[in-house]
Amino acid sequence: MRIGVFVCYCGSNIAANVDVEKVAQEAQRLPGVVFTQTNLYTCSEPGQLQIVKAVKEHYLNRVVVASCSPQVHNTTFMRTVESAGLNPYLFNMANLREQDSWIHDDREKATEKAVDLVRMAVSKVYRHGELYPKYFDINKTVMVIGGGITGIQTALDIAQGGRKVILVEKEASIGGKMAQLDKTFPTIDCSACILSPKMVDAGTHENIELMTNSEVVSLEGSVGNFKATIRKKPRYIDLKNCTSCAECEKVCPVTIPNTYEAGIAGRKAISKMFAQAVPSAYSIYKKGKAPCRSNCPADVSAQGYVALIREGKFAEAIKLHREDNPFPSVCGRVCTHPCEINCTRKLVDDPVSIMSLKRFMADYEGSMGEVPLPEMEDKKSQKVAVVGSGPAGLTAAYYLAKKGYGVKIFEALPVIGGMMRTEIPDYRLPQDILDSEIDVISRMGVEIATGSRIESTDQLWKLRDDYDAVFLATGADRDMPINIGEENIGGVISGVEFLKDVSLKEAGSLKGKVGVIGGGNVAIDSARSSLRLGADEVSIFYRRSAKEMPAIEEEYEDAVEEGIGMNFLTTPVRIIEEDGKLKGVVFVKNRLGEPDSSGRRRFIPIEGSEYTVELDWLILAIGQRPNTDYLTKGDRKLKLTRWDSIALEDEDILLADSKGIFAGGDAVTGPSTVTEAIGHGKLAARVIDRYIKGESLDDIAKDMAEEKSSQKRLSAEEVFTEKELEAFKKEARLEVEKMDARQRTEGFDEVVGTISEAQAIAEAQRCLNCGICSECEQCITACEANCIDYSQKEELIEKDIGAIAVTVGTDVLKADVFGEFGGGELEDVITSLQYERLMCASGPTHGHILRPSDKKEPKKIVFLSCVGSRDRSRGLEYCSSACCMYLAKQSILTKEHIQDSQSYLFYTDIRSPGKDYDEFIDRAKQYGTKYIRGRVSKVYKREKDGKLIVKGVDTVLNQMVEIEADLVVLATAMVADKNAQELAKVLNISTGPFGFFKESHPKLRPVETNTSGIYIAGACQSPKDIPTSVAQGGAAASKILALMSVDKLASDPMVAKVDQVRCIGCNKCLMVCPFNAIEEVQVRGRDVVDVIETVCKGCGLCEATCPIGSISLSGFTDEMIIEEIKAFKK
Amino acid sequence: MGLKEIDKGMADNQEKTDQEAKIVAFLCNWCSYAGSDAAGTARLRQPENLRIIRVPCSGRIDPLFVLKAFSMGADGVLVSGCHPNDCHYTDGNFYARRRLEVLKEYLPFIGIDKRRFSYQWVSASEGQKWQSVVVNFVKRINSIEKT
Repeated sequence: MRIGVFVCYCGSNIAANVDVEKVAQEAQRLPGVVFTQTNLYTCSEPGQLQIVKAVKEHYLNRVVVASCSPQVHNTTFMRTVESAGLNPYLFNMANLREQDSWIHDDREKATEKAVDLVRMAVSKVYRHGELYPKYFDINKTVMVIGGGITGIQTALDIAQGGRKVILVEKEASIGGKMAQLDKTFPTIDCSACILSPKMVDAGTHENIELMTNSEVVSLEGSVGNFKATIRKKPRYIDLKNCTSCAECEKVCPVTIPNTYEAGIAGRKAISKMFAQAVPSAYSIYKKGKAPCRSNCPADVSAQGYVALIREGKFAEAIKLHREDNPFPSVCGRVCTHPCEINCTRKLVDDPVSIMSLKRFMADYEGSMGEVPLPEMEDKKSQKVAVVGSGPAGLTAAYYLAKKGYGVKIFEALPVIGGMMRTEIPDYRLPQDILDSEIDVISRMGVEIATGSRIESTDQLWKLRDDYDAVFLATGADRDMPINIGEENIGGVISGVEFLKDVSLKEAGSLKGKVGVIGGGNVAIDSARSSLRLGADEVSIFYRRSAKEMPAIEEEYEDAVEEGIGMNFLTTPVRIIEEDGKLKGVVFVKNRLGEPDSSGRRRFIPIEGSEYTVELDWLILAIGQRPNTDYLTKGDRKLKLTRWDSIALEDEDILLADSKGIFAGGDAVTGPSTVTEAIGHGKLAARVIDRYIKGESLDDIAKDMAEEKSSQKRLSAEEVFTEKELEAFKKEARLEVEKMDARQRTEGFDEVVGTISEAQAIAEAQRCLNCGICSECEQCITACEANCIDYSQKEELIEKDIGAIAVTVGTDVLKADVFGEFGGGELEDVITSLQYERLMCASGPTHGHILRPSDKKEPKKIVFLSCVGSRDRSRGLEYCSSACCMYLAKQSILTKEHIQDSQSYLFYTDIRSPGKDYDEFIDRAKQYGTKYIRGRVSKVYKREKDGKLIVKGVDTVLNQMVEIEADLVVLATAMVADKNAQELAKVLNISTGPFGFFKESHPKLRPVETNTSGIYIAGACQSPKDIPTSVAQGGAAASKILALMSVDKLASDPMVAKVDQVRCIGCNKCLMVCPFNAIEEVQVRGRDVVDVIETVCKGCGLCEATCPIGSISLSGFTDEMIIEEIKAFKK
Repeated sequence: MGLKEIDKGMADNQEKTDQEAKIVAFLCNWCSYAGSDAAGTARLRQPENLRIIRVPCSGRIDPLFVLKAFSMGADGVLVSGCHPNDCHYTDGNFYARRRLEVLKEYLPFIGIDKRRFSYQWVSASEGQKWQSVVVNFVKRINSIEKT
């Protein structure tokens, strides 16, 4: 062994605190060391030549340099050693500078430590062996993340250099912050004028693939061979065909804050980001399916029709509803409105009264004469039979007829409408209203045969032979028995039968005391109907408490108003009869126990609490079951569940029998709501259509299941943050007028009144636009290029790339963070980015500076610099670097826009260290901007005249200043992009204390990261102005082009190696390896592992894990580290 | 300087070396070693007791290294890696944390005061944190009576 040790003075950096000569002397005594030398600067050319010379002259086979940190010069000296003809890995460093001389004052102790450090380095290098890299192919496609000016520059430079670039941008257009600026300093040239050509170049360059609305979600692999997964969000617009004609924007009813205009203007849910956007196309902003629609069993676009009502487009609103649900008048009256239950507005005050809006537009339609028929497809030859004319059956018939099929409905009763007709009394749903809805379906050509009961499956299969498909929607109209001796007693009636008689006008008058058992809508409807038929006293008896009642709350309240007695926590035990006629009922009292599986609390009878109630009539309404007896008769029966409902073969497609029999509504679900049944009818129609067209049931089922899982259904809680919710103004929910309670019970007239147009619009304005796009479909109608596609879905796209440039830029703090300056409270306190938009000719004021509050020209404008930046109290100690310059620019432009204006500019220090920068500040002063050195403590509105007062201190004159201002502009801090942290994790790069990405070396490797192959540039590394960002973009591009200039890359040979003779194949290393660099192999019939050298990154986790020490990390083997440990002490 | 003074100095030095605790520190290359360098670049003064061994990742550290250091006469052993979730190798420091936590609990069984061992997370930019970690650990080691 012939080791040479070279100890460096590093000028006086090391020598000042370490006795370098002594260290060299001590080193001379170490085993294996045959040569030592001290140098003034070992890293200098003469210093390096000394090493080469010594290696050659003294036949050295190991070299140790004791100087600075290996982070600084390891590579330098490895190259030196290599040039001396040695393998570069036969080298080691001792860090005498950063970890010794620079941190210690005691020369003796520092020298002693240096001696130890050299001994340790020598001991380790003793064990070093020769290592050789492997070479691998590299992929020469580059991914640039972030399409601001930096990303555009980087992409263009790389593309010019002949490499393919994938430019990933999260917004709908590239351009970034620069696109928002009016002019740029220090030249005052128009931002758009110099940016747009570059954007167009980037958009059209043959080497650049633009991916907008996209984000990188994961990254695998390493330099030369990365695999990135990119999430591409739907634009809902066909990019190729959109001509930017703006017709869609005109009809869109939803306006949201415009982020491009920094929030000072609105934008439509369908809009183009800005005039020069690239790609030049519109885009729909959609968070997902609005909570109201998500909760609707019939999938009605509730946010859509609410938005249209808000715009006064009532006809369009009802047309949209009719596409989703053919029963607006019915649902506007009897729906249990799950939409309102999930309405986000409930988190602010009360839900939007969506149901009264529905009722309103249905009434509006009714007042316009005959309801127009929907657009229908050409008649088809195939026919479908529908059994049952309730909401499920009628809905299926409606959509099937729309598709052009011949539909015949078979109805057992003499009337059409199912439960809508026979169970919901006229005072809730007048019969003529229902007639008019059914009339539409009849006019569409649907044949309805009343009095046609299907009695057995023989009949059903016959039907199936005659038609191409059958849909069973036979409802659930059979009362559940209560078993308290109710059979064959006069005065005891079933709720369902009673309501049917009432509807068919077959019920006589009721006298005396009526008791109703049950807590659902049938119970309440029975009670209220009894009252209307003349009963003297009506009481409801329910086994649980009011809270557990399944009836709609409004119905319950109406019933109480009408004077119906409510008895809770009571169960009937037996009927008392006299001469076969009801006399009374014995009840027992209950108490509530634990909740059951449905979440409702159980009731437990209290012993000995029996009591008797005298009654003349008893109506039993404790629930219904499907009447499916017909399916149990005949040769080929259909399967039923134990609740008598039809057992489906596949729920996603409502399949009852694969021979083309489908079923839905209450017959499947058991007693449920009208809307639920409509939902089933819609689904059945879609499935049957595809079935008849010959698609396989499996395919349809797969699609339907996928559709269910792929839709982003929003819940009320996830739409807004708490802060956003707090910002909404509270507004009272619409109170709908009802008929006076006493008047109501006189007859069966409708109780709930309609609302006026003004009321409807006001209520619709309470909608919070949760989904952003309301799915109102107006744009689809307006678009002549047919390029709008609501069905676009989010895609995950994989891309193979060789290197990555991260150029995601920065965020700018919003004004509302700064309460002391009135940010967010005072309208005329805005951010400089907002001011930029006010000055810009393409901005909301067309380049006229008009302050937000009264749209008047401000004359006194006060600019505040360092708002957030250089402010320890906000945890942002750094300088945002560009503000001094852009405030000077804005003050100059202000003077040019408004000749008689006066600008004041508060500054901490003026930072203008760029070419022509300081001259630019002088120019601002020449323009008359008054520079005041000092900070502002407060901006407030003076009570007496409403003027803005800026209160601060002039630290040059050492006096307080107060300025009356018309407008205050805050230069708020640039902060790390809000997604930077997450992206850093995905890419495995580091961030600094303020969340900006960390470069590999602050001076020498400013655009590299510690993960090779990943580069950073622009304001994502630290706040920057445009010139510096562009320069960095170019720097990153040239680094990447240099990397790509070779066809093969050398892999770091400091990777793990397996001793396959000793390996026992336990695979523990395989489990801990973070890079999947270890694979199972067979060697001479034994299961062992091997390392994929080009994938291994050399962390050494495997070696620390291997129980028998058969895997080792070259350069950091157990032996080497243990030698180093053994050497720390003399 | 006469011979006598040199002798005295050497004797003093000898005495001092006897008292000075020696601490072996294992630092991951990407965060803590760079953090320690950052402290050096900023000239943040630290006691001289540490002997730093650079390893690629805190996950590379075999608990036996720590025991080896103790058996070779270290008065304390310090391990430092990247902050959890910021590992250059994704999750090496999570493995380190599990292993070293177990090791710490095990030390008293072989007669080593567990205060003599510590593991920390120091990032590349946390020069000041590194300084305070060193100062505090050395203080702690010095406060333990020699047994």
